[in-house]
Amino acid sequence: MGNKQTIFTPQQLDAYQVGHSARREAGLFYRYHNLAPQLVPLDYTSKPDVKLPYELIGSMPELKDNPFRQRIAQVFSEDGEGNMTLDDFLDMFSALSEMAPRDLKAYYAFKIYDFNDDDYICKSDLEKTLNKLTRNELTEDEVRMVCEKVIDESDLDNDGRLSLEDFQHMIVRAPDFLSTFHIRI
Amino acid sequence: MLFVTPLLLVTAVGVAAADLYGTEASVRPETAVSAAPPATLSASPAASPYPPEEYAEAGIALARSADAHDPVETTDSGDASHHGGGYKIVQWEWSYVQTPYIIAIWILVASVAKILFHFSQRVTTVVPESCLLILLGLVLGGVVLIASKKQLYQLEPGLFFLFLLPTIVGDAGYFMPSRLFFDNLGTILVYAVVGTLWNAFCTGFSLYGMKLAGIIDEKVEGGMMEFLLFGALISAVDPVAVLAVFEEVHVNETLFIIVFGESLLNDAVTVVLYKVFISFVEVGPGNVQTADYFKGVASFLIVNVGGTLVGLIFAVLLAFVTRFTKRVRIIEPLFIFLLVYLAYLTAELFSLSAILSMTFCGIGCNKYVEANISQKSRTTVKYTMKTLASIAETIIFIFLGISAVDKSKWAWDTGLVSCTLIFIFVFRALGVIGQTWVLNWFRLVPLDKLDQVVMSYGGLRGAVAFALVVLLDGHKVKAKDYFVATTIVVIFFTVMFQGLTIKPLVKWLKVPRSTNSKPTINEEIHERAFDHILAAVEDIAGLNGYHHWRDKWEQFDKNYLSKLLMRKSVYHKGELWEVYQKINIRDAISVIDQGGNVLSSARLSLPSMASRTSFSEVTNVTNYLRENGSGVCLDLQVIDTVSGGKVEEETETHHLLTGNLYKPRRRYHAHYSRHFMTVGDKERQDREVFQRNMRSRLESFKSTRHKAKGRHKKERSQKKRKGSDAKEQEVNGKPRRNVSWQDTDPVTAPVDSPEERSEEEADKDEDVGITFVARKHETLKEPLKERPKSDMLEVYQSLAVIPPSPTCAEKHLPWKGGGGTLPVCVSMETTKIIPIDLQQAWNQSISSLESLASPPVQAEPQHPRVRALSRAEAARGGNSGGSDSGGSGPAQDPRFHFPNEEENGQSLQQQESQPLMSSMKPPAPPQVSSTQGMGRRPPTFNRNPCVYLRSLVSASPPGSEPRSRGPTQL
Repeated sequence: MGNKQTIFTPQQLDAYQVGHSARREAGLFYRYHNLAPQLVPLDYTSKPDVKLPYELIGSMPELKDNPFRQRIAQVFSEDGEGNMTLDDFLDMFSALSEMAPRDLKAYYAFKIYDFNDDDYICKSDLEKTLNKLTRNELTEDEVRMVCEKVIDESDLDNDGRLSLEDFQHMIVRAPDFLSTFHIRI
Repeated sequence: MLFVTPLLLVTAVGVAAADLYGTEASVRPETAVSAAPPATLSASPAASPYPPEEYAEAGIALARSADAHDPVETTDSGDASHHGGGYKIVQWEWSYVQTPYIIAIWILVASVAKILFHFSQRVTTVVPESCLLILLGLVLGGVVLIASKKQLYQLEPGLFFLFLLPTIVGDAGYFMPSRLFFDNLGTILVYAVVGTLWNAFCTGFSLYGMKLAGIIDEKVEGGMMEFLLFGALISAVDPVAVLAVFEEVHVNETLFIIVFGESLLNDAVTVVLYKVFISFVEVGPGNVQTADYFKGVASFLIVNVGGTLVGLIFAVLLAFVTRFTKRVRIIEPLFIFLLVYLAYLTAELFSLSAILSMTFCGIGCNKYVEANISQKSRTTVKYTMKTLASIAETIIFIFLGISAVDKSKWAWDTGLVSCTLIFIFVFRALGVIGQTWVLNWFRLVPLDKLDQVVMSYGGLRGAVAFALVVLLDGHKVKAKDYFVATTIVVIFFTVMFQGLTIKPLVKWLKVPRSTNSKPTINEEIHERAFDHILAAVEDIAGLNGYHHWRDKWEQFDKNYLSKLLMRKSVYHKGELWEVYQKINIRDAISVIDQGGNVLSSARLSLPSMASRTSFSEVTNVTNYLRENGSGVCLDLQVIDTVSGGKVEEETETHHLLTGNLYKPRRRYHAHYSRHFMTVGDKERQDREVFQRNMRSRLESFKSTRHKAKGRHKKERSQKKRKGSDAKEQEVNGKPRRNVSWQDTDPVTAPVDSPEERSEEEADKDEDVGITFVARKHETLKEPLKERPKSDMLEVYQSLAVIPPSPTCAEKHLPWKGGGGTLPVCVSMETTKIIPIDLQQAWNQSISSLESLASPPVQAEPQHPRVRALSRAEAARGGNSGGSDSGGSGPAQDPRFHFPNEEENGQSLQQQESQPLMSSMKPPAPPQVSSTQGMGRRPPTFNRNPCVYLRSLVSASPPGSEPRSRGPTQL
């Protein structure tokens, strides 16, 4: 991690340490810093509200082919635009860490799917997801068919869209969810 | 399992009996046939009791007995024929063939045993193969022992170190997922060096302590040095055993590479320690001076670093040599085997660490060699290495079992055995926990508890320890027999007991998973989505991030090494074409395997037959396919049991999804497996891609056929296809994943940012053979012309394996302006774009395919129309390309031939662009264009599948092919 010294206020440290050890925290911070060395200061006591513009994250070469890059950034950023503060950045990893509760994960997963932010996964959201996943390979008919099936499968209250409860219920049934939806930092 | 045993026994007895002939009685070779004087009888006593020293010396254990005999027997038979009374019609030449015969029989037994083991799926899932092999060895050893009264076959150190181990190490090194390996190199080194030292010294000292405490029997003579020696040799985790077991327990890849790498590298440490201690023992503990300890440390460093250097030197050499094998492709694999093996032997020659040498030779050369050698050589190397390694492993385990039977080498001491067992286990666990604790401070991805348990428990000992202990000099190390016995027990215990229990243990420790339920569509979609999301987050976190040093190295590699070690064509531009070619070939092979069979078995009439029915709708392939959908023959995941509409629909949906969801870039699996070529996710992805590839090809094929027939039928499926085609055109505006292929703009290389490029290159390291990733990488690197980078950013790279399907080309082509009237047929032409460079290679490879294909159809009387068509084609050939008419477009031969390489590139070019040119002239009477299509296509296609394929791939690049390329050697 180099010999750079990062300075946090104790409160900041406390706040960041939910679900993380300080060491991993520091690792993530350096990562954050490295994404934009010119923007992010190493001394964090004075200028705590730096934002990483989405363009920076979105243009990372590894993310180029990731269909969800924008969505992820949007969901986890406070302003909803994809511009991430350090808090957002750390939150993202907290939510995906192994220790995060399942509900939290489900919530974020739900948010990621919910493209139009209406707290429901409706058909258009699903279609978007599917198109992203398949790179628009499917015809409209096929997409529609799949979406109907998805909703059919998990829509418990028959309102034609998936609420968070529906989604959670479905997640609970999927045994792999917890074991896959986390990253080790 | 039960029915297996008798068979094996029979084989074993057979071997034993055969051997009896050879050694014991040497039962007069000629008995059966000739009545030669029993001269042999006098000879054999002299030969049989070969001096025991030879045991240790002989390189090939099996050859031993034969060596001793050969001279005698030869003169003997000479004698016999001299005065033995005339000409013998048939002779019993056992002595002549004995050695190779026995070796072959052994390998055969081992292989058959493997087959039998895998008959029962249940047994092999529960019991690791290594256990079964050892058991088999025990049985065989017992049989041989009973049959011949003494143990003839032993795992000889010479045999082991010179022949068996190199094959395994070579395989491991060559196919090592190098990226993963270097990512974890620090951890691996710590475990390998520190861990082994810790194990060796702790075990040694503790055993010595036990000895002093009187728990170990007095009979076990030995001072501290002896026990340290023993500790050193028993502490090495064995790559063979570990691989054998870990392969079956599917642990995560980080863990796998750590344990695997550790086991590979710590052998080097062990061997050095062993040598140091042996010299100490020989000198006598009293005479060891302080300086000697430092010498020991120095030699430790030199041996390891030296071994690595030797390996790297050979790697460079090998890569350099393969640069020039273009004209002698056939011996390419040989170079690889020879040089890798020489790396091993050379290191051994200077008493450097041979294992390290070979490993690093393999790792180092892989990238360049793979780029230089031909596809076939690659396959050969892959298979041969796997075969050799697999068989070596089998033999090692069997021999371990056999050697254990020989009681003459045993001396049992319960105290020693149990103490050793306990100590190695405890110290292994302690060592792992301690090191992990330290390492976790530095690792971004810490090793968790489960990993540690698996690592501690996975410390299997194996043949290396055994070979080392057998190598001990019984005169200098008095307790050798005890050590041998203990080693054998330790090996058996770790391989059998731990090997057996590690799988349940891992399962038990993990969150129990429910299985057997088919994933719902929701799950399928969401899991894939999660994969992407996680991949993105991991990327953001930089878990796969760049290292400063890796960047530097890759820069260096790109600028100097690759240029030096890779063939120019490969380095500059060959990559794209070569990968494309690989994929095409593979597809072609598969289509013959899959679709081709269906085509013929479905009683479709071939073109020549079609003449009878004059291309009636029903009989030709296109319509068959169109009516039944491409799924009929090309769908690899065939929907079998369909019960009811809803289920069917669902299955279809699943289908749709598997076919179209794509994997995130990052989640590849770089996995090493000795017994299997890469299976699993990558395979599946490949299949998905293949399916898509073929589907689109087939579709475009269909559409051309349709057009050729005058577009008079509108069937519903056709409509649907059209719909999708149209849709595809709609999206033309957006950059699509396959944009780089069909764009009329020359395919161009984005000038990647350095990191990006190096990143791609790093990715390539993992590719072994034909992989999906490789292509992605090539696509981007193709250095043709500049393209706006913003465009490239959008190009989904990971899906670069794409069917040539109609895209932007249509948009830009002038004749396309005519509107959507011909969307279908237009797409056909663009589909077949392939660089000319490929054709030669394609020609080569197709020739092998043709041997697979159905027997050539006899020249039947051609339907008049066909003949007319071919005439038309000939005429056309004359028209459009001046120099063309010479070699190609033969009027009589309905098969489409590629122009040979000898023909000049110009004509090739001409011919290539013909269809395009003709279709670029809209005023040309429709009649012409349709005949042209017919003239070429049907005879081509229907003759046999591969020819059809060839025609698909070979068709012309649009005139927009930017530079005229001559045929390039691939």
